[in-house]
Amino acid sequence: MTVLLPAVVVFLLLNLVAGLWRVYTGPSAADRMLSALLFGSTTVAILLLLAQWQDSPALRVAALLFVMLAAITSIAFVAMVQGGAARRQPATRANGTKS
Amino acid sequence: MSLAIDLLIATGLVVLAWQALVGGSLFRGIVMFIVFGLTMALAWARLGSPDLAMAEAAIGAGVTGALLMIAYWRLRALGANRPAPRSPLRARVALGVGLLSAVLVAMIGLAAVGAIGPGGEAGQALAEALPATGLGNPITGVLVIFRNLDTLLEVAVLLAAYVASRAVMGDDKAALPLPPAQDAPLVGALVAVLAPLAVLVAIYLLKAGSQLPGGAFQAGAVLAAGGVLLMLAGRLHPAPLCGVGLRIALVAGTVVFSGVGLIMLALGQPLLAIPGTWAVYLIETAMMISIGATLVLLFAGSAGLTGTPRR
Repeated sequence: MTVLLPAVVVFLLLNLVAGLWRVYTGPSAADRMLSALLFGSTTVAILLLLAQWQDSPALRVAALLFVMLAAITSIAFVAMVQGGAARRQPATRANGTKS
Repeated sequence: MSLAIDLLIATGLVVLAWQALVGGSLFRGIVMFIVFGLTMALAWARLGSPDLAMAEAAIGAGVTGALLMIAYWRLRALGANRPAPRSPLRARVALGVGLLSAVLVAMIGLAAVGAIGPGGEAGQALAEALPATGLGNPITGVLVIFRNLDTLLEVAVLLAAYVASRAVMGDDKAALPLPPAQDAPLVGALVAVLAPLAVLVAIYLLKAGSQLPGGAFQAGAVLAAGGVLLMLAGRLHPAPLCGVGLRIALVAGTVVFSGVGLIMLALGQPLLAIPGTWAVYLIETAMMISIGATLVLLFAGSAGLTGTPRR
């Protein structure tokens, strides 16, 4: 277990690096938001593994907080998109495609 | 293997910070910053500071992400989409501020590198004095008992930040626009579960903070996240006036903390001496309420809150 746990943590961190590419290229705002949400879940997994590996149970509380509050950012994102930022400004999409 | 983990986290933090600042697209910068917060929580976890990982989780996932999203929406709604024109003066000021910030960060970093760990004189003194206070979490002990003037000033700074934000906003009765509330069935069900859960978890963090990692700051941030959720779901609305209850909540931390300290002074004890564990809980509860109320009001960008929307 002492080898397996850190190995899985490294694997998950490499997953994050791969997901970062999606945040970087987009193309749409929703793509970026989705990979940020994926990062949230992966962070929870890493925190749980670290809690076991480093024998620090308090990290599970941090993971709990992430799980509990993960939805707030996505609700804000949906409110933002439905609130007309995307429609009034076609740039939101172009914003993602370019740059 | 642990070296690989630390290297990945450290490199990721630098790259994410850079990407959050330089990105050509504002929205990409926001997402990069959200991911930066997640990675920062992992860094605190690796550094053996679960308290800070919790604070990062509550603030980053609960407040900052939504705040930046709404700020982005407001920028567009107000038509301030175009970046400000570049001027030489602006660039020079930015360079100066950037250099000063870099010097400050370098000084703090040097101080942190030179700091003596738990084995030092202060650490030993803390380990000896902590059991007498009835607290098990050394961080809460330092924050509320041994170095409580710093904590009192932190709470006062938070209050000052809110007052300053009101001053910048002016006495304008028209609050900043918020996107239309999300009252979809799914969001309603989520709010029904999450809002009570946020209160429960906040109280747990406050209670656990005396023995385990946790405390008033984390609990206050979780309360604020609950408030932000209620606001996004259209259950709470910005109001032009600050009610009496909200005013009391805003100043509760500063008033209760300094009140306890002054009463002890009047009783012949040193200033800000803490009479017992009950006083720690009292002060932490007041601080939690103040921190939560201040963060929600900063998010709302308004003077007050109301349950019924303004017509």
